[in-house]
Amino acid sequence: MADTVATVTLTINGREVTVPKGTTVLEAAKSVGIEIPTFCWHPKLKPVGACRICYVEIEKMPKLQVSCATEAMPGMVVNTESEKVKEGRKAVLEFILINHPLDCPTCDKGGECDLQDNTFAHGIDDSRFDFNKYRFIRERKSTFDDYRIGPEIVRNQNRCILCFKCVRANKEIFGEYDLGVFQGGNISEIDTAPGEKVDSIYSGNLVEICPVGALTNTDWRYKIRVWKTQQVKSVCSYCADGCNLTLWKERDKVYRVTSRRNDVIDEGWICDVGRYGYQLASVEGRLTTPLIKKGDKQVAATWEEAIGLIARKFREIKDKKGGVCIGGLISPQQDCEALLAFSKFFRTQLHSNNIDFRTEYKMLPEKESPYYSRLTSASFRIADIENSDTILVVGTNLIKEHPIVHLRVRKAVNQKGAKLYTLNPFTTKSGDLSRDEIVHVPGTLEAFLNGLCIGLAEKADGEGNVRAAELKARLEPNTTAKAAEICGISEARLNDLAEALRSAKKISIIVGELVSGSPAREAIAAAIHNLTVVLNLNERGQAAILSRAANSKGAERLGVMPSLSKELQQKLKSMWGGFPETEGRATDRMIHAAKKEELDALLIIGANPVASFPDGQFVREGLDKLDFTVVADLYETETTEKADVVLPLSSWVEQSGHFINLEGTMQRFEAAIKPVGNSRPGRQIIEDIAREFKGGLFADAHEIAREMQELLNVEPRPSFPDAVAEVKFAEEKIEKDYPYPLFVVDEMHHFGHLTERSRSLAAFAAEAQVEISPSLAEKLQIENGSLVRLESETGKLVLPAKISEMLDNDVILISRNFSGTAANMLQMRKKRIDRVRLIRVDEK
Amino acid sequence: MEKRILFKYIDDPNQIHIDTYIAHGGYKAWEKTLKTMQPAQVIDEVKKSGLRGRGGAGFPAGMKWNFVPKDSPKPRYLICNADESEPGTCKDRVLMEQDPHGVVEGMAIAAYAIGSHLAFCYVRGEFVKPAALMEQAVKEAYDKKMLGKNIFGTGYDLNMVVHTGGGAYICGEETALLNSLEGERGMSRIRPPFPAVEGLYACPTVVNNVETLAAVPHIINNGGEWYASMGTEKSKGTKIFSLSGHVKKPGNYEVEMGTPLSYLISELGGGPLDGHKIKAIIPGGSSTPFLLPSQIDAPLDYESIAAAGSMLGSGAVIVMDERTCMVWVIERLIHFYRHESCGKCTPCREGTGWLEQLISRIERGEGKPGDLEKIDSICDNILGRTICPLGDAAVMPIQSALKLFRDEFQYHIDHKKCLVKSEFEFK
Ligand SMILES: Cc1cc2nc3c(=O)[nH]c(=O)nc-3n(C[C@H](O)[C@H](O)[C@H](O)COP(=O)(O)O)c2cc1C
Ligand code: SF4
Ligand code: SF4
Ligand code: FES
Repeated sequence: MADTVATVTLTINGREVTVPKGTTVLEAAKSVGIEIPTFCWHPKLKPVGACRICYVEIEKMPKLQVSCATEAMPGMVVNTESEKVKEGRKAVLEFILINHPLDCPTCDKGGECDLQDNTFAHGIDDSRFDFNKYRFIRERKSTFDDYRIGPEIVRNQNRCILCFKCVRANKEIFGEYDLGVFQGGNISEIDTAPGEKVDSIYSGNLVEICPVGALTNTDWRYKIRVWKTQQVKSVCSYCADGCNLTLWKERDKVYRVTSRRNDVIDEGWICDVGRYGYQLASVEGRLTTPLIKKGDKQVAATWEEAIGLIARKFREIKDKKGGVCIGGLISPQQDCEALLAFSKFFRTQLHSNNIDFRTEYKMLPEKESPYYSRLTSASFRIADIENSDTILVVGTNLIKEHPIVHLRVRKAVNQKGAKLYTLNPFTTKSGDLSRDEIVHVPGTLEAFLNGLCIGLAEKADGEGNVRAAELKARLEPNTTAKAAEICGISEARLNDLAEALRSAKKISIIVGELVSGSPAREAIAAAIHNLTVVLNLNERGQAAILSRAANSKGAERLGVMPSLSKELQQKLKSMWGGFPETEGRATDRMIHAAKKEELDALLIIGANPVASFPDGQFVREGLDKLDFTVVADLYETETTEKADVVLPLSSWVEQSGHFINLEGTMQRFEAAIKPVGNSRPGRQIIEDIAREFKGGLFADAHEIAREMQELLNVEPRPSFPDAVAEVKFAEEKIEKDYPYPLFVVDEMHHFGHLTERSRSLAAFAAEAQVEISPSLAEKLQIENGSLVRLESETGKLVLPAKISEMLDNDVILISRNFSGTAANMLQMRKKRIDRVRLIRVDEK
Repeated sequence: MEKRILFKYIDDPNQIHIDTYIAHGGYKAWEKTLKTMQPAQVIDEVKKSGLRGRGGAGFPAGMKWNFVPKDSPKPRYLICNADESEPGTCKDRVLMEQDPHGVVEGMAIAAYAIGSHLAFCYVRGEFVKPAALMEQAVKEAYDKKMLGKNIFGTGYDLNMVVHTGGGAYICGEETALLNSLEGERGMSRIRPPFPAVEGLYACPTVVNNVETLAAVPHIINNGGEWYASMGTEKSKGTKIFSLSGHVKKPGNYEVEMGTPLSYLISELGGGPLDGHKIKAIIPGGSSTPFLLPSQIDAPLDYESIAAAGSMLGSGAVIVMDERTCMVWVIERLIHFYRHESCGKCTPCREGTGWLEQLISRIERGEGKPGDLEKIDSICDNILGRTICPLGDAAVMPIQSALKLFRDEFQYHIDHKKCLVKSEFEFK
């Protein structure tokens, strides 16, 4: 491949340079270390040639050329440092500076500003401009222009050099049209479109991309000079995309987070949750010391007392009733080290398989079906999405769940012409990009997928696909018509999608939490599996159920589940010299067992099941029955309230460790600051308990690293033939009393139960809202912000309504990220689709 | 002598109606094109005619059409540039108001030549009446099946859309026009890619001026050679000149290329106002350098006007007599260009602003020693350094005025008053 790429050879400053055809003169120069100043150029944006600082002189061309937008041609003779070039650059800098306020002493960009740097390197030290500088003043009556264009972004137009990177990135990369250029000529300004705010999930990137101090965020501004900070390599601890981050810290405080560009994952973009989520580490109210329940109060205690009590209680239970009466829940946002320690403690010391990391989803089985686990462990590359000509997104509001995967999908569609199809129970932002945004009746997804298989199997059979006949037989007597009818979609659309998939060269099928969180996950996974078989996807693409949190993949690969693959179990057995024979329980069955008093104690690390587990009633009753509950977290939560011992947990910026992203890539992150108060990292807490209980878990740091590596060497894919799965056709019953399907999801700017503490993220959304479509709002006469009451068979909730332009069918979305709103009280654990009724609350 | 080809029926108020247009031989060329010619033949004929773009740059039309890639699988678009906003230029407006079908027919033939099935007419936002008349002409053409599906039973489909513009001079610059038509802010794009390869919606696109397109039916009817028989060796055919300023009979005059400037001003325009004499002439719209009265015999064709040190541009001839203060003229012009700069590239955006500040202080009598040298240098830093030619357009008249009339500027600075107005008390 590589050797067939056409190249061109040109001369730059007397040096011969060979680059792939299509490279710009600027990049050709960069490739041999020749630096040319730039302002408006950005490696991921289309060149616009606006700022004109990147002039070069090219032989046979009378005018100076902008190198960022000039393609390198064979035989070109380029000079980047001629007198004419230098004089041209000086002129551009002079122009840029004539109305610039030169307020570097109070500008947050000082020290990392392209304008400072380029002026320092190439400018003049005097100006011929002798007029008063033009001033934009929007919000303050001073030379400052503090104009808020979004919840977190402040604009100072006077500093803006009109490189348009913010507007361009917003459109080209993020698909947002909330920012634009207004006015004209030398009073052109960057502003929001009328009535808009810059509040997309990617908004922080615009601040990062701004080469000067024109866009700043309230997170960083006026807090510290950049040269006083140190930079720490980190990885995001929220979703499973695994963006690479830089933490900027001084002493014991992190001041901001920026992207640490990694082209195979994030391409230099991060979402606002990743950018501002770090703030939750240092907010008032952190748990700083262990608490022990005395009577009905939790009172401060030392670590020795707390650990001693835990070890004693665990020993008591183990001796009396067996280790299987103890269970453990751990957050998939804990690092690999903590996860492995957790599993090792339970399995080697308590001899219990009762561990799980999945506390958000209903009815998770102890052991996933081979079809399901094949799809969760399938090899999947974010970067490969852009090589697909056809993309099918199933069961996810992708921009929310995986913002960076969404950007790759956008890139594939917009820059490479891929065809996108989405298949969801409600409309999502991806719909804007798609050829067809298919919205099915909630609860009928597998019927649609089986319908697709029927359509494809008939054709594939004729084309010699060995499994097609078998699949056809399984699917008979169902028809595409029947499938389409069940899901409320026309047969023609189903057939169009089948045809698009059939004729595709390379396919990516991306599946999200509306599948993994559904009690019907196995049936849906079987249908997707059949789809991959009939499409022969092994040879032409990828399909995966994406894991949810920063280290969900780590938890799967390291075995933090009650029941493991044979291979993993064997490996652990030989590594640890034993493995409990007893059957383990998943979250759902642990709570069930607690209710029946078959489970006596729970050790919960970083999770908040009382607020997150679907069926709030069930989980509350279960936890109330426990003898002994230990909860480690950063803050008091609905779950710590029920604890006998509360342990202060460190956040990820306070420790080093590893996360495994949804692609299965293990990435290291470094500690930026010391643990806050007396908090301890998860891994240390587990090791402390183990040491007190029985003995150390790992001889040293090498041992834990070695064990991790050995487990990661175990092939994650279950081996079984490419068989065709059992087929199910679900049909959803509509209940008259509770007409609206309810989806409990993450708020756009939040993830998990702690981000509400981040000041910046709270500026985007600080409380739960009931998201409904404009049409439903009209039907029920509900206005934006007015209070509504949701009622399900099990609970009630009163919340403000938010009319979302994104939605266009009768579904209801509420977020699970806010304490004080127990959305899970409306959910029922055995129900496939939760349903509610919605009533307008008339103001008293 | 006027040579009325595009203007043949310009005085007939019924020419705007399709029946009259057809009675005058209209849409014959379109029918002939579709029924008897291959696209390549159309392009050949136009090449043979020597027709050059009338929007300002004078680029050969046939050659531009030929740049459209033959093998591109993408749709192609034809755009008629009717944004006419250059100060002094007012010919396209008259064509659209008096003979809109001539424009529609020219667009149709050009669209066919490049294999386009969708053509846009981008009309300047302020041109309410021309836009309405174009709209009506397009509707009539659809009604008469000159547009739409299967035209003349040949199987060729063509749709046409009249779009009213974003209301800025820059929207006449072809790449800014494309952005504006796409719904973006009208800002120029860097070239390459050229519109013929990647234009509207990144598809091959040809942009031509109204007058250029309006000449095409005549070329098809009478042959390229006929058209090329008019004009000079390199500037063929006729051209409409918009004569304005200090002349007795300002107006639009269609003459053969190569007609002397003096003929246009003195014979057609009736010469300068009584008792006054010509001081300076802008020959091709406000972006072109001045000519002096001594150059008045220059033939009006691309080459001769270039040889005289200016440009034929869009053919807007602005005459100024001795009462005109050149500082004031330049102040008006730089005010215009500063206001119309799209704001995209630094030299034009910042440079025009700075120039306006300097020139208006000179005009107000507040100029400082050294200001003229500063202006010279700022002009040098803009000329040839911008994305689109607006930067050059802003600078060229200033450089020309500073060369030809530097003493007037110096007088403003030295004496804090106007050389011209103090003599004539003209305001
Ligand atoms: C600032 C600026 C304004 C322009 N305005 C117009 C205009 O109003 N009408 C026009 O036909 N061409 C205008 N042009 C020229 C166009 O960019 C383009 O060259 C022309 O439409 C091509 O058509 P032609 O080849 O038929 O002349 C303008 C160019 C510039 C730089
Ligand atoms: S705000 Fe910043 S990124 Fe946006 S145009 Fe101005 S300088 Fe460029
Ligand atoms: S939450 Fe996900 S997308 Fe956002 S920065 Fe973190 S890893 Fe990246
Ligand atoms: S970096 Fe090339 S023009 Fe701005």
